[in-house]
Amino acid sequence: MIEAVVLAFVAGGLVGVSRQLNGRLAVSTSALFASFCNHLVGFGLLTVIGLAIGGLLSDAAFSGPWHIYFGGPVGVVFVALSSWIIAQIGATRSTMLIIAGQVLGGVALDWVLTGKPVSLAALCGIILIVAGVLVAQRQRTGTSSAA
Amino acid sequence: MSPRRIDLAANLAALAAGALLSLMVHLNGELARQGGALFSSWMAHGTGTLAALLVIPLWWKAIQRSDTARASIPLWAYLGGFAGAVTVIMTSTAVNSALALSGTLALGLAGQIVFSLAADRWGLFGIAKRRLRLGDAIALALIVAGSALVIWGSL
Repeated sequence: MIEAVVLAFVAGGLVGVSRQLNGRLAVSTSALFASFCNHLVGFGLLTVIGLAIGGLLSDAAFSGPWHIYFGGPVGVVFVALSSWIIAQIGATRSTMLIIAGQVLGGVALDWVLTGKPVSLAALCGIILIVAGVLVAQRQRTGTSSAA
Repeated sequence: MSPRRIDLAANLAALAAGALLSLMVHLNGELARQGGALFSSWMAHGTGTLAALLVIPLWWKAIQRSDTARASIPLWAYLGGFAGAVTVIMTSTAVNSALALSGTLALGLAGQIVFSLAADRWGLFGIAKRRLRLGDAIALALIVAGSALVIWGSL
């Protein structure tokens, strides 16, 4: 159990590392180029891992509906956006606003896909998140040299 | 653009990016049900690479203009995709433990937040240092509490 906790926590940290590295690359090149490199390097590594452990391609792998194969292009836009954002407003503000957008977007997506009503607890959560976004929006970002 | 406008644009872009992320997670999740977690991530990185190649005209000029800066790009800056791919493996392992999806999600968010606070504090990996302001700490607390309510209120 403790291994799983550490694994999940470190995985979250690595999401941050990845964003920081792509942001650094975007500063010297372009956000879309950073996103391209991110996907190419990830593809190379996953190909090696897939070949090493095997079982990458199953019979059912290509028989899904067409739209589920479009997560990659959506990811390219996501990585490009976040690589630009992090250099503008910093890691903490980027992280909290991306999380806010993800949770609000997730609720909207669930609602569209399942039509299930939003629970009272979730509704309270949404209000807190929107309040947090408004508070963040009122803050000026400043590098510590300017502060 | 004035700094205030860039701030606003970046804030809105971050919210939009988050919404795109939940769409991406949904699509890749469906694909993982079809062909497994490793296949889903491999496929997403492959189709993503192709999609980025299709829009080369959008970024080619910017790369050429950055010629002088390129020599100073550290090699590690190219390893963002490495960290991202490793994350997929770790997350899909954690999901299959007693933590399940909500536990993995919550700990992952905690890991992201702790790292980003450290990254701003010390200016990690070549991104400028930033002081955490009181308003940002309040906003962070509200968003974390709200996200926890949504995650556990939707179980």
